[in-house]
Amino acid sequence: MLKVTNVGKAYGKFTALENINLEVADGEFLAVMGPSGSGKSTLINVLGLLDQSYTGEYLLEGKNYKDVNDNELSQIRGDQLGFVFQNFKLLTTYNVYENIEIPLIYSKKKQSKKHEMVEDVIEKVGLTGKEKNRPSELSGGQQQRVAIARAIVNRPKLIIADEPTGALDSKTSKEIMEIFTKLNEAGTTIIMVTHDSEVAEYAMRTVYIRDGRLYNDEKSVKNHD
Amino acid sequence: MTDKIMIALKSIGKNKNRNFLTMLGIIIGIASVICILAIGDGFTHTVTKGMGNHNTRNKVILQWEPTSDYNTDGGFTPNDASALSKIPGVDHVKLTSSVAEAGAKVQYKTKNVSIGLNKQPKHLSLVKGTYFTMTGASNGVYISEDLAHKLFKENAINRLISIDGTVFEVQGIYHISEMNYRPDAYVSKQIFKELFANQISKDQAKLYVKADANKKQVGKTAVQRMKKMGEQKNTGRYSVSNPDTVSKQFTRILNDITYFIAFIAGISLLIAGIGVMNVMYITVSERRKEIGIRRAFGATSGDIRNQFLIESVVLCVIGGLIGIIFGYIFVAIINAFLPFKAVITAYSIILSLSVSTAVGLIFGFIPSNKAAHSELVGLLKEE
Ligand SMILES: Nc1ncnc2c1ncn2[C@@H]1O[C@H](COP(=O)(O)OP(=O)(O)OP(=O)(O)O)[C@@H](O)[C@H]1O
Ligand SMILES: [Mg+2]
Repeated sequence: MLKVTNVGKAYGKFTALENINLEVADGEFLAVMGPSGSGKSTLINVLGLLDQSYTGEYLLEGKNYKDVNDNELSQIRGDQLGFVFQNFKLLTTYNVYENIEIPLIYSKKKQSKKHEMVEDVIEKVGLTGKEKNRPSELSGGQQQRVAIARAIVNRPKLIIADEPTGALDSKTSKEIMEIFTKLNEAGTTIIMVTHDSEVAEYAMRTVYIRDGRLYNDEKSVKNHD
Repeated sequence: MTDKIMIALKSIGKNKNRNFLTMLGIIIGIASVICILAIGDGFTHTVTKGMGNHNTRNKVILQWEPTSDYNTDGGFTPNDASALSKIPGVDHVKLTSSVAEAGAKVQYKTKNVSIGLNKQPKHLSLVKGTYFTMTGASNGVYISEDLAHKLFKENAINRLISIDGTVFEVQGIYHISEMNYRPDAYVSKQIFKELFANQISKDQAKLYVKADANKKQVGKTAVQRMKKMGEQKNTGRYSVSNPDTVSKQFTRILNDITYFIAFIAGISLLIAGIGVMNVMYITVSERRKEIGIRRAFGATSGDIRNQFLIESVVLCVIGGLIGIIFGYIFVAIINAFLPFKAVITAYSIILSLSVSTAVGLIFGFIPSNKAAHSELVGLLKEE
């Protein structure tokens, strides 16, 4: 699915990522763990083609998008990637249906097909009947379901989730992780940032970030200390 | 497109008060535009209707004026007319006269007098004789007191005079006052037509032009051509005449007023535009999170720019529509005081909507562009 070779990222003099090497296979479910400020969000912004100002090489499905124009990047994000952000990032003035529909606005599909796709994911995440509700009328778990529905409505190959359970209690977190597991079983590749080791257990593999460096197991992080 | 307009309407509805205040400038500007155009159109409509056949929409009038006081007879000849009709853009030419009288020479015994003469009017009050409408080839003539004094010592009635060689019998004498101009003599209608009408010099040529012709150019060419080959170029001067100088003066005053109101409209539209720009900047910075989300889910920077541009245009067009409604109300009020009727035409509605759209596009462009080119990672950090 993707291959990262010697990727680095600096904010001025501050090095946020350094010498990152990572390979994720098709259909994998990867958890990225690390303390706050270690560079997790920075890394997945690069992986999600949201941030193009990195050094080193990043190949998504074998293609380097570093010098691809903005329109093509937008199209890839819309068609092949699905984001679940920390704190849901829903549009508060839009209802559930309208929030989930956003990725479809920018894809060339028939209106009837779009409607079908939205209804399909609403059912998948268990929000049937809540279409007309505003995010403020939903619980945290329900809001995160809306965010997941929005991420998967376009049937992406890769889901990138930044702390999808960060704002949820452990019971709700579990429900959300069950949705992720199902999606992964259906063939979707998932990269998920978390600092909850219980949540990370749902993933096949976990990598660790500390001070912008990537480690393949917890021990090596500790050895580094 | 309709769904994009719906999105725009929705987010405008979110901030009704703010957006309404922003629209005020546009409402005032557009209402003024509607009023100006209505008054202008109403005025031209009234003037051109009032002028009836005199309207010069499809013709150029060429004039011949004598250069000396001694030889005032002259004008355009049939040859001139055919030369004029060959000018590109000219459809056909009609020769007319600005004066209705024919020039003639009266003789009585040894006295010779040059006079102006016309066919008799329906009514005429006489100082001597009785007035009636002469029929057929009657050789009766009514003459002015002045002429009578010049020709006869006393009693003019029933005397025979020769006008251009034809003998006439004086039937009556009338008085010419300073207030009321009249020719020196009147003859019967038929006689006038048979003997004198063709002597009236055709000092005007009406050039009826084709719809697509440039009247100014036609006039210029016609004058040039007549200067070169006009048959009476040696005794007169050719020029293009402007019959509607009065309405022109009116139009000039109206134009001054129009410019003034247009100036106010322009200023208020400019201020409105700056207001729109400001409110769009505010909207864009308030909605950084939304922009980030849309960008992350496939919106191109062009999509974002268009979204905000549409919003700015919709805002302005709503303002424009309200302005048009106010325009109608103001025009109704103005019409109560105006000597003519101001009319709102389809053209002014279209112009108003175009202006509103243009304001939205021009002043929404920079904020929309800013929205489109914000850095994505930064946008996604917004809450
Ligand atoms: N725009 C920026 N300018 C300067 N430094 C930045 C910028 N964005 C992030 N950083 C720094 O980069 C480092 C990594 O940030 P990042 O957001 O990736 O952390 P994180 O691992 O996601 O933390 P958290 O778990 O709290 O979300 C932090 O030390 C942060 O201060
Ligand atoms: Mg983070």
